[in-house]
Amino acid sequence: MRQAKPQSLVIALATVTVITACAVQPGQQPVAPAQPTPTPLGQEENVAQTVKAGELKPPVVAQPCGDNCPYKDQTVTVIVNAAGEKGPISGPLYEIREEFEQATGAKLNIVEVPFAEHFPKLLTDFTTGSGQYDISIAGAWWLGDLVGGDYILSYDQWYTDPRFPKWDIEDVQPGPRSLLEYGGKKYMVANDHDGQVMYYRRDLLEDPNHKAAFKEKYGYDLKVPETWKEFRDVAEYFNGKDLNGDGKPDNGLTMHLKVGGQGMFHFMSFAAPFVIGPENTKLFWFDPQTMKPLMDSPGHLRALETLVDLIQFGPEAMMGWSLGEAWDHFLRGEAALTFTWGDLGALAQQEGSKVKGKTGAALLPGTTEYYNLKTGQWVKVDGVNRVGNTTGGSWAGVISKFSKAPEAAYYLLALMASKPKSLIYAARGWDGVDPGRFSHYLPPAGTAKIEDYLAAGWDEKDIRDYTQAYFDNFSAKLQFPYLRIPGTFEYWTALDIHLSEAATKQKTPEEALKATVADFEAITDRLGREKQREIYVTSLGLDQ
Amino acid sequence: MATIATTQIPQKRIGLVEHRDRAKRFFLLPAVVWVLAFSIFPLLYALYNSLFSFRFGRINEFVGLQNFGRLLTDANLHSGLRTTLIFVASTIVVQMILGFGLALLLNQEMRGRNVLRAIMILPLFATPVAIGYLGITIFYEQNGPLNVLLRALGIEPVPWLSNPFWALVAVILVDIWQWTPFVFLVSLAALQALPIDLYEAAEVDGASRFASFRYITLPLMTPTLFLILLLRLVEAFKVFDIPTSLTLGGPGRATEVYSLFTYRTAMRFFDHGYAAAQGFLLLVIVSVIVTLLFRRIGRLYDVES
Repeated sequence: MRQAKPQSLVIALATVTVITACAVQPGQQPVAPAQPTPTPLGQEENVAQTVKAGELKPPVVAQPCGDNCPYKDQTVTVIVNAAGEKGPISGPLYEIREEFEQATGAKLNIVEVPFAEHFPKLLTDFTTGSGQYDISIAGAWWLGDLVGGDYILSYDQWYTDPRFPKWDIEDVQPGPRSLLEYGGKKYMVANDHDGQVMYYRRDLLEDPNHKAAFKEKYGYDLKVPETWKEFRDVAEYFNGKDLNGDGKPDNGLTMHLKVGGQGMFHFMSFAAPFVIGPENTKLFWFDPQTMKPLMDSPGHLRALETLVDLIQFGPEAMMGWSLGEAWDHFLRGEAALTFTWGDLGALAQQEGSKVKGKTGAALLPGTTEYYNLKTGQWVKVDGVNRVGNTTGGSWAGVISKFSKAPEAAYYLLALMASKPKSLIYAARGWDGVDPGRFSHYLPPAGTAKIEDYLAAGWDEKDIRDYTQAYFDNFSAKLQFPYLRIPGTFEYWTALDIHLSEAATKQKTPEEALKATVADFEAITDRLGREKQREIYVTSLGLDQ
Repeated sequence: MATIATTQIPQKRIGLVEHRDRAKRFFLLPAVVWVLAFSIFPLLYALYNSLFSFRFGRINEFVGLQNFGRLLTDANLHSGLRTTLIFVASTIVVQMILGFGLALLLNQEMRGRNVLRAIMILPLFATPVAIGYLGITIFYEQNGPLNVLLRALGIEPVPWLSNPFWALVAVILVDIWQWTPFVFLVSLAALQALPIDLYEAAEVDGASRFASFRYITLPLMTPTLFLILLLRLVEAFKVFDIPTSLTLGGPGRATEVYSLFTYRTAMRFFDHGYAAAQGFLLLVIVSVIVTLLFRRIGRLYDVES
């Protein structure tokens, strides 16, 4: 028998290496807002100015400590979602490293781990008490487990201490500010401020031809949708039309509904005005008396039915999409509407976007009635029932109880939270830090200057809409109640899976919500109903 | 004296035997330590964990056999088991037929045979996770190469990753693509070891190619094929990387295989006790299958010998 030549094997190995290297799919990091890679454009009319990652840097705030370094020979190790030196959330850590080390004498280690590995690694570190990580740039929903398990330190004692860089928690709007605290103590140091807003194609909604055609079809003026019903009409109207001039039909909307692709956040933001209203500002997840899940209420059901109905105006593929693909679809100009986090607005300004100067943003639409869970009645409202939200991770630093350098750790987080740095983080976009402070907003809402954003490459109309949308979202009188109890990720995973089942017609919306309730009950029973109830009630600020 | 002599020699021998025994024990020690540290201890530790509930990633309270009881009533677990069985049955059947068929084909004299053999085993070198991510690109519904090809052939694009049925098909196809070469490789090695004189004798007797295959190749290859089947079955039951990287178990639970479910239970929900119980169930299932197959293989070898 002839033997295979060694050259064949070498060629084979080289081919596999190349294939494997090419296998990295843009936008497949399900997680902390990832930066998709839009298609390079040949003839884009709207690429006036772009600022690449790293071009715009925040000012140096801390002075070098010289011979009097407070944390000399200490090491601060930060665990953060993997995104690289120019990636969202992790990027600013690399940028600030030199400044921090010169100001404190401490060393900064940055440990990047995939989103999926972050919480398990952190909890393993905590449960074994090894203290490998001093800081975690954590998701806000982890606080139920981290505080409940007594794994992280409150920074109350250091917040006003003049030894540390000054930052102002009152500068953060009340919605996102509430996520920094737990049980009356401060745990997370402000960084990212997540919340979902609606994005729309301003150029399409202002187009006279579309305005006329829309009015003829629906009997009212084409405008920025204020209710989910209007959102549906606009999505339906634009669905199937060519929205980016490539001669191919595009979609009315885009969403990310892959299991593990954070689709459950879509449902949370979407369902809020179906359940939350002036007479019920806090009940969404559980009955605080019994911890019975409320997820199968008529309000939740109508929300899910409406959401499932909307899916027909997006590409079928979005049932398998994570953030990256859904955003990419909008950035290519292939969808008229979406609702998601602040990253999209910033990414729309980046090189390769087809929607720079065309991307409007607004508070999420609402409803004209909501189901009051307290009374079991539908309640009609005057005008529109709109609910702000802080859905998402709001990725921010927490300090390990097992840290050997807790003060140096707080120094780093406070330095990153200082106003001049935070403004640049929020303006740049690529670093994943979304706006949520008064100092991020343009007057009269805040104190930022339009020049700050223009320097970061923003289109003026886009940034005015964007900051106003975020200000309106976090200022809304009604806010979606964020879940922060032990097992939150498990509850949300159950919701995510059953939402996907409803979206792909494996279950009816009613069946999906019933299955969600069954899973919620099992999780609550396992974690201890009474313990969970007590924490839930505390997290809502209700009396026991 | 004679008595003395007879008692002295055995004592020396006994000493020698004892020395040899000690040496044997010494050389066995690493293996024993290995088995104790990496098989017995984890097994006992998992058994211990399975008797407790967990909260905040730490042991909460003793629950006895409650975690094992949950195995019987957990509909989500049953769904994972069902998906795994479908996956195992589909992939194994196709891989065995395809892999063995290709081995037969490339065992023939033909031009470019070595190049084809090298190409055939390429997927084996790749990491399953990487292949899963590569699958996302290949099965990408809007402009993925597969749907572009289907469109070019005038066939309606397939919702590979957004439809529950097709998502499972996609996971199965990727697994088949990766592991068929294993069946191919081992089968080919075994085919090349078959005694050529039997075929020559058959040819002299006027046997057709099919008859040679039916009465020589297949019987001689059966033990090898059973061994491949055994190895693939065990691996297929543990499949994790491909569905995790390709679909994350979705849409819904359509591709949530058993190992992914257990992984979520342990590393996402930190319900280590229940995850340990799930591990034992899989161990039992796989052990039963392995035992049955081993018996079958044993009988085949007995018949041969």
